[in-house]
Parts: sequence; C-alpha cells; structure tokens
Amino acid sequence: MSLYEILGTLETGFIYGIVALGAFLTFRILDFPDLTVEGSFPLGAAVAATLMVSAGWNPWIATICAGLAGFVAGFMTALLNVRFRILHILAGILIAISLYSINLRIMSGPNKPLLMVDTVFTYLEVFGIPGYIINAIFLGVVIILIKFALDAFLATGYGISMRAAGSNPAMAEANGVNVGKMKLVGVGFANGLTALAGALFAQSFGAADAYMGIGVIIIGLASVIVGMSIMPSGSIFLATIACIVGAILYRLAVALALNADFIGLQASDVQLVTALLVIIALILQQSGNLRSIFRRGNKR
Amino acid sequence: MIRLNDIHVTFNKGTPLETRALRGVDLEVPEGQFLTIIGSNGAGKSTCLNVIAGLTKVESGSTEIDGKIVTDWPVHKRSRMLSRVFQDPKMGTCEDLSIIENFSLAHGRTNPRGLRFAVASGMREEAAERLKVLGLGLENRLDDKVGLLSGGQRQAVSLLMAATGDTKVLLLDEHTAALDPKTAEFVLELTKNIVSSLKLTAVMVTHSMAQALHTGERTIMFHRGRIVFDAAGETRDKLEVGDLLELFKREQGEELADDSLLLG
Repeated sequence: MSLYEILGTLETGFIYGIVALGAFLTFRILDFPDLTVEGSFPLGAAVAATLMVSAGWNPWIATICAGLAGFVAGFMTALLNVRFRILHILAGILIAISLYSINLRIMSGPNKPLLMVDTVFTYLEVFGIPGYIINAIFLGVVIILIKFALDAFLATGYGISMRAAGSNPAMAEANGVNVGKMKLVGVGFANGLTALAGALFAQSFGAADAYMGIGVIIIGLASVIVGMSIMPSGSIFLATIACIVGAILYRLAVALALNADFIGLQASDVQLVTALLVIIALILQQSGNLRSIFRRGNKR
Repeated sequence: MIRLNDIHVTFNKGTPLETRALRGVDLEVPEGQFLTIIGSNGAGKSTCLNVIAGLTKVESGSTEIDGKIVTDWPVHKRSRMLSRVFQDPKMGTCEDLSIIENFSLAHGRTNPRGLRFAVASGMREEAAERLKVLGLGLENRLDDKVGLLSGGQRQAVSLLMAATGDTKVLLLDEHTAALDPKTAEFVLELTKNIVSSLKLTAVMVTHSMAQALHTGERTIMFHRGRIVFDAAGETRDKLEVGDLLELFKREQGEELADDSLLLG
C-alpha cells in the first residue's frame, strides 16, 4: 500500500471510529443494541450536504446541525422503546427505515454531490499541506477530542448513572437513576455522533448518498468487537482507544482484502467481508479458539 | 415514616393465573422503627416491600413515605428517600463500576452530581473510612471493579452504599438469604449497627422466624396477602419461634405448608 492509500484508509478509519464510539455507547455502555445508525449515518450526510449545497450554509454549522439531527433520530428510537415498550432492535429498524424516506426527501433525490461548495476540508487548505495528509490529521484530532469528551462525560455523575443504567438497571433505579431518561439521552447522543460521522464522510467522499448507511451498524460493531478483543479494555479510557484502533484495523483489513488480487474480491464484496470478520471475531470472543466451535459435544 | 392504607395488589388480573397478592394491607411504621416481616412463599411479604419501593403498582390504596403521598411515584423518584438491599448480592452493586464509583452513585441518590465529576474530593477518604470498619481490606481496593468481589463482600458494600447520603428508609429484601451462614451473620450484625447508628427506619423481609424475632423491634407476619400477626415490645420479647408457629396455626387453623419457615 502506498502512503496515499494508507492515509486514505486512516481518514475513513477515523470517521468510522466516531461511529464505533457511538456503537460503544449503545452496545457496551447502555446495553441497547441500536440499529438506528443505518439511517442516522446517511441522515447526517443528507442534512449537511443539503444545508451546504441548497441553503448555502457554512459547512461547520451544517455539520453540527447534522449531529443534532442524528440526536433527534436516536432519541426517537429510544422513545419508542422506553415510552411505548417496542423492542429496542425493532424500534431501531423502524426509525432507520423511516429515515431512508426522510433522507430522500431532505436531498430531494437519492444523492447530493458536494461539487463547487466549501466543505470543512476546504478550510484546512490554509495550512498549505496536501489534502490527503491534512484531512487525515484533522480527522485524527477530531476523534481524539471526541474520545476525551466521551471519557470525561462517562466519569461524571451523569455518566456513571448512564453506565449503571445499562449494566444493572434495577440497581440504578434503586439509586435514583431515571433509566428511561438515560436511554433517551444516550441513544440520542450515540446517533448524534454517527450523523456527525456521516456528515464528515459525505464531505470527504464528495457526496451524500441515501444508500451510504448500509452496513454502518456492522462497521461500528466490528470496530468495537475487533478493538476490544485485541486490546485491553478494562477502563473506559482504554475501551474508547480500543474502539478507535478497532475501526482503523477494520478499515485496513478490508482494504488489504480488497487489494489482494489473488483472493479475487471486488469492492462490492465489502459487506460480505465485513460480516465474515464480525462473525469470526464474535465466535473467537466466546470460545478463545476456532477449533472448539467445531468440536462436537463441547457446547456451552 | 411509612404508611400503607388499604393496599390491594392483584397479579395477572382477569387471567386464569390471577393472584391476589395483597388484600387490604394497612401498615404504619413510625420513624426510627426496625420492622421485620415474615411469611411463607407467596404470602405477600416481598410484594409489600415492592409496594413501598414502587416496583409494584397498587390496584387500590395509597402509600405514604415521610409525609408525602408517593403512590404514583416511579422507583427512581422514591429512591431519593429510601434505599434498598436486594436478596441477590449481584443486584445491589454495579459490577462494571469500581467500588468508589458505586459509592458515588449511591451518594448521588440523595445528592445527584450531574455533570460534575462523579468522585468528588473527600469521597475516597469517606468511603475508605467506612469500608475499613468491615475489616475486609476493601479500603485499599477502591478502584477495583465490584465484579471482582465475592458475594458477601458485595452485600456488605451494598449495605454501606444503602446507608450513604441522607437516606431515611432502608428496605432489606431477604438480604442474607443467599449468603453462607457465617457471612449472613456478619451482614446481619452490620445491618443492626448501621440501622441503630444512623437511626434509620428499616423494613426487613426474611424467611427465618428466629432472625425476624431477634432483629429489630417489631415483627409482622403475612399470610395470603394479609397481615395476620403484629407484635412489638414485651409481647415480642417473650416470643420464641415455637410460639410463633403455634400462634400462626391457631390463627389460620391450618398447617404451615412451607417448611422453610421452620428452618433457622
């Protein structure tokens, strides 16, 4: 791989790292398997692109608005679950499906190219460093800031309440924690991050697309699982690092698999490769090694 | 401090499984009293505790705690006034949080810390001091995850947590039942010390008649959703497990179906 390719992989890895931090918050902290991200990732892209192209907004403000839109989407999913007792997975699918139509409405079409408009990356040109380098550096800084903000939040009174709400809801309630409220805020927050990632992805990629959310949930989850299975994740500080490293490794693995011509994979196989990666990581996590899975009479 | 007025609770209403768990329970626990509740399985003792805690919705009747009508309050709101220790040691503490974070969470029950750092200055010293009393060496393990502790240790920590902050009422749901006899004894002594030193109003549900009679200062017995027996003061001091069984048989005119009451 060339430096150009490696930096490109890092760029995407950092963006997916933001998704991974969101997945960490829902899956690991809140114990809320949230599928909304399939819709909130393209939602962030659609909102940012439309505000920038059609409304001529400043890209920074458009990106922040994208994050807010994602928060609302996640909040709605948690509301369906908390208030109306709809199963969390189903609630996420319902919101993601409805977001598909909403995204088409927002963009008035299946995609929105970001041609001839300023993106947040345009602002980085003042540094006079080639785009493929400064973009990766910028996204690296962004994700590290988000990581530290998340770490700090999870160490506040509100943060440990959220951790307790996911880990032991009955105990959390007995200690005055409003578990439902924690889910609303936490899932909202996670989708805000995902939409932010979607907005950045669209600007890095050059277009927003209604289909770009497909597989995002698995990418986020893959990053969390891969990161946590190869790195120590005993504390929140380490766990969030593991998520980011997982996202980068995941991107590297996919890039290598697709680049290695002898395997004969095409770009369109990326979802299959991702799913296989997650399945293998999950099985390894449970058993420690692959062989025991296939041994008979040794089931847990 | 706690007042239940004509509480009725029915589970699975309108189905073949309909169970009338509480049938007109009136109970008043004055401030500072340590009440113990006994009864066989399904008698309604745990349901009664859950009604006080807010886990179980009442069909009719009202619940009052510290002069406030709390009948419609959710669990987390009531938790500002009362703390609980569960039967399962895993339930009372959060295993993914460290000991000090658990303490901070318990502290937040009465004084929520919001977006300030959870572990306030002075909190570590305070927690260490309380943990030292246990003699388990936990004061040196403040940053260990609670999941690493044994059941007895976790239950002791739960108790200390329940006594953190400005709690007024302590609810104990068979909190020694899942422990080995020696640890159970230790946790029970700790309970007595905490309740008397902090002058808490406490309600303890237990399966053991001996434990019920020798702990606290008043004992009530549930049977089929009603309070069938209520003793305090001298009357209670003279009672022994055998008397209680006799009394129970006479009042109900039937044999006790549940042998577990005889044990202990």
